[in-house]
Amino acid sequence: MSASLRPLLTRLGPFVGLVLVITLFALPAETREYFLTYNNFKIILTQTVIVAIAALGMTMIIISGGIDLSVGSSVALTSVVGALLIQHGWGPVPVLLTVVAAGGLIGLLNGAAIAGLRMTPFIITLGTLGVARGSAKWLADNQTVNYDASPINGWMTTADPFSRALPVGVWVTVALALLTAVLLRDTLFGRHLFALGSNETAARYSGVRITRMKILGYTTAGCFFGLAGLFQLSRLRQGDPTVAVGLELDIIASVIIGGASLNGGVGTVLGSMIGALIMSVLRNGSQQMGWPTYFQEIIIGLVIIVAVFLDRLRQGKAPA
Amino acid sequence: MKSHWLALLGFCCAAALTAAEPYTIAVIPKGTTHEFWKSIHAGAVKAQRELAAEGIAVNVIWKGPLKEDDREQQVQVVENFIGRRVSGIVLAPLDHKALVAPVETAVRGKIPVVIIDSGLATNVYASFVSTDNREGGRIAARNLGRLLGGKGNVIMLRLQVGSNSTEEREAGFVEVMQQDFPSIRLLSIDQHAGATRDTAKRAAETLLSRYGSVVNGVFAPNESTGAGMLLALRDAGLAGKVKFIAFDSGETLNAGLKSGHIDGLVVQNPMNMGYLGVKTAVAVLRGEKVPARIDTGVGFVTRENFDDPALADIVNPPLDKYLK
Repeated sequence: MSASLRPLLTRLGPFVGLVLVITLFALPAETREYFLTYNNFKIILTQTVIVAIAALGMTMIIISGGIDLSVGSSVALTSVVGALLIQHGWGPVPVLLTVVAAGGLIGLLNGAAIAGLRMTPFIITLGTLGVARGSAKWLADNQTVNYDASPINGWMTTADPFSRALPVGVWVTVALALLTAVLLRDTLFGRHLFALGSNETAARYSGVRITRMKILGYTTAGCFFGLAGLFQLSRLRQGDPTVAVGLELDIIASVIIGGASLNGGVGTVLGSMIGALIMSVLRNGSQQMGWPTYFQEIIIGLVIIVAVFLDRLRQGKAPA
Repeated sequence: MKSHWLALLGFCCAAALTAAEPYTIAVIPKGTTHEFWKSIHAGAVKAQRELAAEGIAVNVIWKGPLKEDDREQQVQVVENFIGRRVSGIVLAPLDHKALVAPVETAVRGKIPVVIIDSGLATNVYASFVSTDNREGGRIAARNLGRLLGGKGNVIMLRLQVGSNSTEEREAGFVEVMQQDFPSIRLLSIDQHAGATRDTAKRAAETLLSRYGSVVNGVFAPNESTGAGMLLALRDAGLAGKVKFIAFDSGETLNAGLKSGHIDGLVVQNPMNMGYLGVKTAVAVLRGEKVPARIDTGVGFVTRENFDDPALADIVNPPLDKYLK
């Protein structure tokens, strides 16, 4: 195989996975008529929004050689913050901006602690996982935060469930994915993230300001997590401090299935988006097939292992 | 487990053969591991069999949220059934607010929804089939007050925030305690047990280590808090000494009742809930008029009336008959 074909195959890997998963559920006649419909894919896309937006932030962090375990808690905390602001009569745009900023603030704290205290991201974000979850319950007074009505409620549904229109959340995800792809590929910020993740020492000697980059990376990612929290709020129409427990694992799995390496320096936006879609399709399809719930959990677990294993085979054979 | 899925599948196929277009009813519980939900499942299957005998073919699809007690996951289950275009949905909502959006979506898509077990803050559903939970809480309080002779110290362990059915029971319990038993002191009524038996046991242990020496009576508002509290009472050597009333039945709680560690169980009729849920959904699909509120009834079970045949379906639901 020629060297120029190899990167193409690496790119295509997750895509082939997605097609495989869709084919798996499209083959049995009894599910095809429900599964392979525009409407069902509209549902799948809507259900992917939260994981996909968070996965955009996580892709940046993983490319820079880091990890963030506090995402699920950040989503819960920011959704509570949003619900409280709506309770206080704030309009949708100020709520949007504040919630995104709140996510960014958690990211800033993560980044500053990781870079400043020189501790591994795993430990710091494991700590903030608890801190943010507890803060969410504290702010919410240990219950769900309900409000009367807000235009935000309509961002994850369409007026007619069987219309062709897609909810706002889906379009926002697509736009942000394009933006992030450009950011990673064509800006100094993006290139420095890759440099940082590939080899921190080399990056430092070649003039990358490590501390600043780490803080910037985690803060930007945090903004994405905040936005994911806002869409979670929109879906449940309430701020739920117990929502999204374990969501970080779905998000990290999406990025890894999408071809990123936990060692840093490798990862694509397209891959992560397809990874997120694979997870949603698996859930939706298993339900359509009538598979019991425990079976779905097993399948999703196995898919993660297989995806990473295949990726390692590819990486291992690829020229350095 | 596997065999009952196969049986259900076989049953669905058999039902499909008898009529050209069977109704497909999705029954969505809050979780699948508690015995309570298995009884609802059995009731749904019972309705399906009865309807089949009347010549009305119904497929019942039983599906809980992937992660139990996760609102977002239950929303996804409802949405996926809308995508699958089931004929009707029978839903026990995990939260009275969070499930409003998908239920409204289903109804807009001409899929009727029957709510069971816990209330939902909307009026678009076809009918609400459940226990009068507040009355159940009142019954628990009256009996505990009577057992204590109208005086003493009482603890109530709450389940979790946002669960409408248990919050109603808790409210009914506190209401009667405060109104009818002025000499009973409520030591703790603000602690939440969380979703599982394990978290309930931990919460109960903490409460008993704080109040164990003075407590005379305990109320637990559902199966998991009841089982957790029972374990904690046993570990603390208080079982049988403290008057204990729980809600719902199940193997653990029934055994506790027989051994005298539990003094009474307020029992709902979950089988009836699953049964009437499916029946009501089918009635709506057949264009019949259904009441907006259907009460499935509660009973109070003690060691004395445990073997009363009138209570057999509630205390010991014939799960094997319908789920194996």
